[in-house]
Amino acid sequence: MYRNSLNRRNFLQQTGLWAAAAAAGGLPTLANAAREKELNIYCWEGYNSDDVLDPFRREFDAKVRAEGLTSDPDAVNRLRAGETAVWDLINVNNPWAREMMYPEGLIRPLPRERFEPMFENMMPAFHPPYPWAMDKSGEELLGMTQRFGPFNFVVNTDKISKATAEDEGFNVFLDSGMQGKYGVLTYDNWNIYHMCVTAGVHPFKAHTPEEIEAFTVACKQIFNGAKILTDDLVQMNLALINGEIDAYFTGGTYTASSARYDGATQVRGITPKSGPMDGKGGIVWIELTSVVNNPEVSPLAEEFLAYIQRPDISKLVAFAEGTYNPVSQMGDPAVMGQFDADELDAIQWDSLEEEMANSADYDINPDYAEMYEIYSAAKREREA
Amino acid sequence: MEDAREALLVLDGLTKAFGDFVAVRDVRLDIRESEFFTLVGPSGSGKTTMIRMLVGMEQPTSGEIRLNGRVLNQVPANRRPTCMVFQDLALFPHKSVGENIEFPLKIAGVAPRVRRERASALLRQLRLPVDYYDKGVNQCSGGERQRIALARALAFDPQILFFDEPLAALDFRLRKTLEKELKDIHRETGKTFVYITHSLEEAMVMSDRIGIMKNGGLVQIGTPHEIYNRPVNKFVAQFMGEVNTLEVEAAGAHAVREVQGEGTFEVRDMPEHFTRGFLIIRPEVMKLGPAAAGAANTVSGRLFNDYALGSRVQYQVRSAGGAQWLVERLQDDPFEGASDGEVTLGWRPEDSILVSE
Amino acid sequence: MSGRPAASERAAPTGVRRWWRRPGPLCAFPVSLFLLAGFAGPLVIVLAYSFMPPRTFSLRQAPTLENFASVISDSYYLSFFWSLFLATTAVLILFLVCYPIAYGMAKLFGRWANLVTALVALPLLISENIRLFGWVLVLLKNGILDGTLQQLFGVSVSGLLYTVPAIVLGLVYVYLPFMLFPLVIGISMVPESLKEAAADLGASRFEIFREVELPLSMPGIMIGGILSFILALGSLAESKILGGQTVIMIADDIESAFTFAQNWPKGSVLSVLLIALSGLIVVMLFRNIDLDRIIGRR
Repeated sequence: MYRNSLNRRNFLQQTGLWAAAAAAGGLPTLANAAREKELNIYCWEGYNSDDVLDPFRREFDAKVRAEGLTSDPDAVNRLRAGETAVWDLINVNNPWAREMMYPEGLIRPLPRERFEPMFENMMPAFHPPYPWAMDKSGEELLGMTQRFGPFNFVVNTDKISKATAEDEGFNVFLDSGMQGKYGVLTYDNWNIYHMCVTAGVHPFKAHTPEEIEAFTVACKQIFNGAKILTDDLVQMNLALINGEIDAYFTGGTYTASSARYDGATQVRGITPKSGPMDGKGGIVWIELTSVVNNPEVSPLAEEFLAYIQRPDISKLVAFAEGTYNPVSQMGDPAVMGQFDADELDAIQWDSLEEEMANSADYDINPDYAEMYEIYSAAKREREA
Repeated sequence: MEDAREALLVLDGLTKAFGDFVAVRDVRLDIRESEFFTLVGPSGSGKTTMIRMLVGMEQPTSGEIRLNGRVLNQVPANRRPTCMVFQDLALFPHKSVGENIEFPLKIAGVAPRVRRERASALLRQLRLPVDYYDKGVNQCSGGERQRIALARALAFDPQILFFDEPLAALDFRLRKTLEKELKDIHRETGKTFVYITHSLEEAMVMSDRIGIMKNGGLVQIGTPHEIYNRPVNKFVAQFMGEVNTLEVEAAGAHAVREVQGEGTFEVRDMPEHFTRGFLIIRPEVMKLGPAAAGAANTVSGRLFNDYALGSRVQYQVRSAGGAQWLVERLQDDPFEGASDGEVTLGWRPEDSILVSE
Repeated sequence: MSGRPAASERAAPTGVRRWWRRPGPLCAFPVSLFLLAGFAGPLVIVLAYSFMPPRTFSLRQAPTLENFASVISDSYYLSFFWSLFLATTAVLILFLVCYPIAYGMAKLFGRWANLVTALVALPLLISENIRLFGWVLVLLKNGILDGTLQQLFGVSVSGLLYTVPAIVLGLVYVYLPFMLFPLVIGISMVPESLKEAAADLGASRFEIFREVELPLSMPGIMIGGILSFILALGSLAESKILGGQTVIMIADDIESAFTFAQNWPKGSVLSVLLIALSGLIVVMLFRNIDLDRIIGRR
């Protein structure tokens, strides 16, 4: 592909450097020295609530700045765009650290001797060496797990029983009687995986043209039958409770728990009993918090990682504002003791173990780019 | 020779009040066909309110406006067969000269070709180059803009054309030229013009008849000659320009006595039941020095100042009684006496004007 | 004719004189630099990315037209169409809704105009998403409107949300101030005496509007129209929140391309095309409507 003259490549290199410089120049620059007392966290909502941060600020006499993120790709983009110079900690879903951020030099490894023992107290599924927390070679520890949750689809159990939904899995949405009675929560990356599952295709493996074709058919069918598309989980739950829709495509504990905690326990995340992922039909995400490869990284970054493992703080992270989720630290009785019955019901604790058993871990889809084209075209061309 | 028919425009007890303030009070006026009628008054005299009622931009509080016998009070401005040249001309800045002139024709639904011809004819009539048709109005000079505004009003072909002091903002020379042009156009078109101005001088140049307004009422209506020679009161007389005004009381059939003791003066015409009022003598009819010898009325005083007024010279004299007198003579006939000297003033009884108020 | 060479001789040294010694450019330099870095810079970066190979995160690649080709061959014309259609519809409705209000504020309301201004401007302090979500609660099945009508009249109007009209409603609602305020200024720029003159010359209320008010308030209409059109063209939240993505607007595609698709070059191409489209429309409008003439400078 490189048939261009050296001069032209030089020019492009110059352009790139200039662009990077311009991008970096536009960002808040932090004082080089005195980073001992400050910490910048870029994370999913929950870790950035003042309930979580204030005790840390007091204890470490630190200035903590936290910004919530709304999508993994967005967050990783910002690090790529030069914000590694800004943040000390990044919290995204499991595959990004191992597959993207560490290979791209955006995060740095943790000292294993300090952090690996903390995995011992977690739920059994997270016992060390926990693959998603390690780099591909298995040598480096890349981050700490905490919140996680099965993520598949959500139904109103007054309309569709849990048992039916679990048995039928994503086929629920292909039923002709469901046309115009469901929504699609446009967490696009998740939808692509779930549309693979709907098509009977394993999302996290390389795909044959036939599988891509099956995916395309499923994509169009799901979009054309949807009543609502939105990326707002509150709006989706509202539509579910109000009867605009009976179910929504892509969702789970993360999206259902706030409605459930408010008393709408008919809103329930469903994990299919079976499916194409080595027999499994559900997917579970695990958030991983990693130290950013900041040239001036704050020493408080590691302290914060240790701090959020404490039982009371774990509970605060699990029940931050907006969404409620199980945390891997619930393997520790001291953490479990923090939750009451309503809270456990909100996060569907009763079926969590079973759902986890029926779920494959969230991963990278090697054909994501191609599938995304198909997916976004199906969304645009939707026959509403 | 009075026509038996009603005049073209009749104002019958026209009154306009804004809250407690009465801007126009019980005005009765007939305006005749083809007449150039000018309403003159100082600012605040109600003339602007009056013309706004006449064109339909204000509703009279009471009284009637009749045009050819038809009551116009409730007829909105756009339905009246009259129109006005505005003080600021109100030319449409987004339209060309031609489009401005054609505007009333376009509204009337005249075909584009016809109205273009008419606009060109009006440009010629108003001595504007025909290639101005496509020019922007803001590229034209002040005088040209006046003519465009007039052409636009004429294009409307109104039964009466009103003017709201359109020349007020122009410099003296241009104003003089346009006053005469306006009079020419009045004669050429034969239309009825109703003009308002605060300048009696301007009114004198152009008008067939003049109405003088004060505090919302009409004080006097007459030809320029009548207004000049027979002002009905001190206000009208003084509005004409600087005059000698003496407060007097009757002192016989043909004599009045100045109340401060300046003397007793002979007059020719004594109004009926005159007891007390004002004696008005124009400065230009006063005689000064030897010329005053033998005049029926004389006063002696000291000449203390003189001013050149272009074609005339004005002299100021202070009489023994303390009154100040004005005398005007032509520039080429100056007073030869010593300044700051004793002089005699004199005037004929027929040059005296007596008014009661 | 001897003046000509002299003039050019005089002009020559001025042109040659170093720009940094002339006060105008010198004073403008810091602002120019700021504009260049803050405004032109990001645009240049987006433009540069549009020529990079798909799904790359660096500008140090050989340029390619691949993204343009794939965008054109794909169904993105649908998103462009919807954005253009919805923006145009919203602007037309906004004009019809705002003109009477603006007329009232400029000419009729007097001191109440300040209250109207405050009422219109106040919602701008609240996040757009929250305001739109308010409308969701109104339009939702069994929501405020539906519920009230069911309660009072037994009529159900459940199909309002997640429709194209709902998106238009959102656009009109959100961009109302951007149309209204320029219109108020535009309308108050029309001198009363011109309207009186037009009436005096026989024009009816409508003819005054058509011949005088509309053309003379055109600067305000243009600014309001362009402002709301460009904003609506790049809008996202209305189609997402009120439309339930019934249709996908181009900004939605751009956002997806930069985020979920992880395809910066494609997002850049879509951005470049949207910017070019907006620019083209603005240039065409300004070419056909001579503002200088309207304001009366020519």
